[in-house]
Amino acid sequence: MFEPKRLHPVAVLSSILQTLKEAIIPLIVLLFLGSSSGKSIQFIIFGVICFFLIIRSFLSWLKLTYWVEDGELRIESGVFIRKKRYIRFERIHSIDVSEGIVQRIFGLVQLKVETAGANDGKPEAELTAITKQESNEIVAIFNEVKARKKKLDFERVNEADAFEELIKEEEMDSASIVFKQTFPQLFLMAATSGGIGVVLSGAVAFLAQFDELIPFKKISAEAERFIQSGVLLIILTVLLLFILAYLIATARIVFIYAYFTVRKVEEELIISRGLLEKRQLTIPLKKIQGIRISENLIRQPLGYASVYLEYAGGSALDKDTVNVLLFPLVNKEQLKEKINQFVPGYELQTGMKGLPKRSYIRYFIRQLFIIIPVIAFISWFIWPWGLTSFTLIPITAIWAYLIFREGGWNISGNQLQLRTRVVSKHTYIFQKNRLQVFDRRVSYFQRRRQLCTIAATVKSGAGPREGKLIDLEQKDAEFINDWFSYSESKKSEG
Amino acid sequence: MEPRNRISNKALKVWRVSGIIRAAICWIITIAVLVVTILFDWSYWAIGAAGIISIVVTYISVFLFPSMKWKRWRYEVREKEIEIQSGLFIIKRTLVPMIRVQHVETNQGPLLRKYQLASVEISTAATTHEIPALELSEADELRFYISKMASVEEDDV
Repeated sequence: MFEPKRLHPVAVLSSILQTLKEAIIPLIVLLFLGSSSGKSIQFIIFGVICFFLIIRSFLSWLKLTYWVEDGELRIESGVFIRKKRYIRFERIHSIDVSEGIVQRIFGLVQLKVETAGANDGKPEAELTAITKQESNEIVAIFNEVKARKKKLDFERVNEADAFEELIKEEEMDSASIVFKQTFPQLFLMAATSGGIGVVLSGAVAFLAQFDELIPFKKISAEAERFIQSGVLLIILTVLLLFILAYLIATARIVFIYAYFTVRKVEEELIISRGLLEKRQLTIPLKKIQGIRISENLIRQPLGYASVYLEYAGGSALDKDTVNVLLFPLVNKEQLKEKINQFVPGYELQTGMKGLPKRSYIRYFIRQLFIIIPVIAFISWFIWPWGLTSFTLIPITAIWAYLIFREGGWNISGNQLQLRTRVVSKHTYIFQKNRLQVFDRRVSYFQRRRQLCTIAATVKSGAGPREGKLIDLEQKDAEFINDWFSYSESKKSEG
Repeated sequence: MEPRNRISNKALKVWRVSGIIRAAICWIITIAVLVVTILFDWSYWAIGAAGIISIVVTYISVFLFPSMKWKRWRYEVREKEIEIQSGLFIIKRTLVPMIRVQHVETNQGPLLRKYQLASVEISTAATTHEIPALELSEADELRFYISKMASVEEDDV
């Protein structure tokens, strides 16, 4: 631990796999597209790329050493440009231990270190493959430093009530609050996730990559015979493929979100999940910028919602930290209580002020803009039967009404709550002191109807997250603007 | 009550000049189409379309949009917040609290420099906002003022 050490050699493998994973689509394109006569050149290029990849991964493994010295985690790395990173344990915000598939096979873990400072994107340091024992030692040192710091803080503020507070806090610690997702919940969540879209689009992209390889002409000849053999069979096949895609999507979600656990320890939320790949994320409560409650079309009638955190930190590239799931699936009746328990200060309000009736027509027109080209397209290509697609217009009217109905806002004290529907229904809960900016947008048509679009922006990951509400009463927009305004004397009046 | 201050009068000129540059590119393409049409004896509708597009682009980007944009642009810097109004067809009014401002900078491209103007860019932790064309001295003053006010309170992001 106190001697400079290299990562476990498996780090080479995991680095190669990581790079391959990121470059998978260009590689597939390189391998399978292009003329078939030039295939050998492509394979040579592919080989050369792989060779350099292996060499690079090996060298960077060779050159990376880490150790603990003087209360610092020290990492030196870099093949051509040497990089020395010394991180004081006091400055470390959180250490996340996760296990990828490769790491799990060899009984290793991956360590991510995040510091308090404003880091643009990346975690401060990453040790991709170390033994569990070493990881435990580093975490132990970190915890010890943290405990010492806390004790120091306490001694500095040596007052009776502070002492009481500390005791109370310690009592809370021992009974730290835990959210565990049960297996029935997990399956329900996976089954209602709508993840099938991901699988289907993945399949389409995959097939598109292979269209050189698959002899479509031959297939289409076969397909003709196939079509002749019966429409029923086609429908069944499509249905079967659909079910298959659905099962794959469901299984994928089960693998990702198995053992989902949130623990609230002191002022931190520790979220861990995963069946094959174990992930852990530590989120300091004070870095939470807002809450987003999302109900998709399947979950809403069932009375379930998922809750996301807008969290300022983590890396821009890491999808995990941009969309942090707090509760994958939670019963709507428990929503308020659960949020309050884990993220104190955020109170879900039920009474929302809706949109004025006159904005419905604008919601309807906006939906028409989407649907009319579709109707035109269908009518043109399947004349005259395509004309039946005009029945989509009343359906659109109903859909627009559903979207319109969900629009609403609420202000209570320090908190702004916005609710909108795009496809899923989203409820945003923001606190005034976390909002970065607020804006009002008025178009010519909106001005004529005295309507206004508002948007409140918080920081999420490394970028912005905008909660937007379209076409609310102009007076309401001004009211919310005044609520957000920090100047007491110069409230806007128009 | 709209935000109090307008941006510099000269912004109009700057936008017109950059509009002229854009229009010039359009016209160069039109001329190229004309030459090709004559050389290869193409039908004349292509050149007609290119000509019409060029005229429209010239009108919009040199005359219409700059003056519309200039009319809309307003800003006001108060003690605790900055309000910016902008937009062409959709008027957008943004409220940026001082305590959210992380840094301010002034920028000056070649065109702005020629007219002694500068733009002020205000960054929060998640967003950036620009006031596009102010007198250089005013921009400097604003940058100085905002960065002074912004450092008053520090909140955890």
